[in-house]
Amino acid sequence: MADSISRTIRDGALEGEHAPSLTIKDTTASPYGFDVFTHVLSQASSLILAGKSQSRGLVVVAYSRSPSFYLDFLKRSGVDVASSQKWIHILDCYTDPLGWKHQLADSGILPSNSSAGACLFQDVKDINKLQSLILELGSGLVGQGKVRFSVAIDSVTEMLRHVPLSKVAALISDLRSHDQISSIFWLLHSDIHDVRVTTSLEYLSAMVASVESLNQSSDGLSGDLGNLSLLEQNFRRGKFHVRFKRRNGRVRVMNEQFHMEESGIKFTSVTVEDGLVSQGLVPKVLFNLELSEKEKLERARVVLPFEHQGNGKHIQIYDGRRSLAPESMGEVSADTSQSNTEECSNGGGEIIYFRDSDDERPDSDEDPDDDLDI
Amino acid sequence: MAATKTRTSSFSRNLPAASSAQSPEIKCGPNGTFLVSSGIPDLDKTLGGGIPLGSLVMVMEDSEAPHHMLLLRNFMSQGLVHKQPLLYASPSKDPRGFLGTLPSPSSPKDDKSRSHDAEQEKGLRIAWQYKKYFGENQSNLDGQRGMILFRFIVLYNKQEFSNEFDLRRPLDRHFYTGQHVDCISTKDLPNIAALQERCTSFLSQFSRNDATVACTGRIAIQSLCAPQCESSNMEWEMLSFIRSLKSTVRSAIAVAIITFPSSLVSATFCKRWQHLADCLVSVKAIPDEDKELAKLLTGYQDIVGFLNIHRVPRINTQVPAVLEATTLSIKLQKRRYLVLECLNQAPVDGSSGSSYGTSGSCSGASSKSGSLDF
Repeated sequence: MADSISRTIRDGALEGEHAPSLTIKDTTASPYGFDVFTHVLSQASSLILAGKSQSRGLVVVAYSRSPSFYLDFLKRSGVDVASSQKWIHILDCYTDPLGWKHQLADSGILPSNSSAGACLFQDVKDINKLQSLILELGSGLVGQGKVRFSVAIDSVTEMLRHVPLSKVAALISDLRSHDQISSIFWLLHSDIHDVRVTTSLEYLSAMVASVESLNQSSDGLSGDLGNLSLLEQNFRRGKFHVRFKRRNGRVRVMNEQFHMEESGIKFTSVTVEDGLVSQGLVPKVLFNLELSEKEKLERARVVLPFEHQGNGKHIQIYDGRRSLAPESMGEVSADTSQSNTEECSNGGGEIIYFRDSDDERPDSDEDPDDDLDI
Repeated sequence: MAATKTRTSSFSRNLPAASSAQSPEIKCGPNGTFLVSSGIPDLDKTLGGGIPLGSLVMVMEDSEAPHHMLLLRNFMSQGLVHKQPLLYASPSKDPRGFLGTLPSPSSPKDDKSRSHDAEQEKGLRIAWQYKKYFGENQSNLDGQRGMILFRFIVLYNKQEFSNEFDLRRPLDRHFYTGQHVDCISTKDLPNIAALQERCTSFLSQFSRNDATVACTGRIAIQSLCAPQCESSNMEWEMLSFIRSLKSTVRSAIAVAIITFPSSLVSATFCKRWQHLADCLVSVKAIPDEDKELAKLLTGYQDIVGFLNIHRVPRINTQVPAVLEATTLSIKLQKRRYLVLECLNQAPVDGSSGSSYGTSGSCSGASSKSGSLDF
């Protein structure tokens, strides 16, 4: 299913549509969002190099790691970085985002060292400049014209430290509607932000991938020490939950499990599905005329108060004074009162049957005609 | 034919000049209101004939699905087909480009859906004493297979009041290139006042006191507080904008529709906005390939989403509207025509509103769910 994400990014944007966008979000309970991000990055890169994807270049806006980290990572993942000038550009917003080192270097306090290779961006508060730089770098890679490139934003969380949400949202929506952008994906640490930020970014994305921890207890401290190793083991695993917005307006929900290994993150599919989603959508109906399997079995087990049970046994005439099913737990009250509230069913169905003829007193001496006064 | 009955009381209403019912785009509704079509015949029927003039329709979007765009498209196309002036505001940079994607009215030969009934009539056996009523009015019968309904449903003889739109055919250019169509982009507006001014000046052409008004105006505002708009933070300003728009529209011969992503507005403001609406609907996405839903609903494969009607416009009356069903399913027939249907669940929820045998996929199952119509 992480493959589905890669496939969607590979397929890119159609004419006249917004480019597909992916939000990867995680929390402190399962902080592996960055690993998912790098996984998607390496997949996208290898597809670009192999020429299989719509986009021909990649611009990485790096806030939380240095450019050399990315180049090393890609090399480790087996992506050819020797020709990296041709297909990838890393915009360095990590080294000196606010331009302080530059200012200190200017005033002679720090020795200035030129950054190698990647483009240094020192003015992260200026979102327009960032946008134009991204577009410039991208078209530098793929040239002008119909060819597209992808954009990866290392961490929107970092971006939001400097720039308000509306500007970040404007940047993303501009990029999505730009002719030359094939796809765009970013990472977000959702528990740091307001709910509003997370929902706004989800609003702008076609796919939302969330990294969740296996055990649902929100309080990470609650585990007892005896289980520490189990906790540790579980910490390296988690659930990967993706919501795809499809073109026809439906939402595809997929679930997988992942676990962290030395070499990176590995995804495995999970077979348990939950069908609780639909309950909230469909209005409640008044009756339920369908029986579930369990209910059907129960129904088959109920003994009906017919005298001919049809199973070949000797016909037992019911005389109303003994309880019908000797193994039933409740007692039939001897008097023919209507209360049968003392019956308790042992989980199965039970039919209490009082024959009408029970109501008649046997052999009453009174002549009903005596009441007539003629 | 909605002929206005002349009232012989001393109270005379100040009827707008366009009410002579000469123009097909306006028809008379209950309680002295005039109705325009929303562009979706099924929705018109549910709302009681159409949208009353002077009402504000609000659509709560689902951030996971673009169904509100279907509603907007049909609404705008209907207005353009009737040559009604239109004001369209959207958060994209080029709203005028969207006009090129509006659907065109379907040609009659494509529209076989409503004519199925005529063929089915021949298979019915009609009780003899009613034959005289059915003689020349064959086409007015609403036939359900195997059952005889003794209700007359007045087919819209005014075919032009409401059109079926073919979503695959774009609207002819001459409909929207004209002085009467105005577009605004809400993205770069620093605050909401600019939008408010444009709306007010647009609506001043349609004041009710002016006897020379010839047509109705339509306002369509898409995604009012989308995150990429600067003004989305200013919740109180937006609230007062909606309030002033509502009051201006009420005193004008116009209809306004606003869509907004309800998950992005804070809960208290969302409630306030909902209270301001005359007509409130919400759209909802459905999960894809969900086995539970497939079991609950017939025709699940064709459904793309749900439409919930929360409030029906009730102008000039205190009598509440009780709808047969408040949740409709949104289907795209042949991926071209927007159809809204009541949900066919087991058991039926008492409504007979499922479309008159249009959708082939659920006609087989609807006999199973057995609507009890006598």
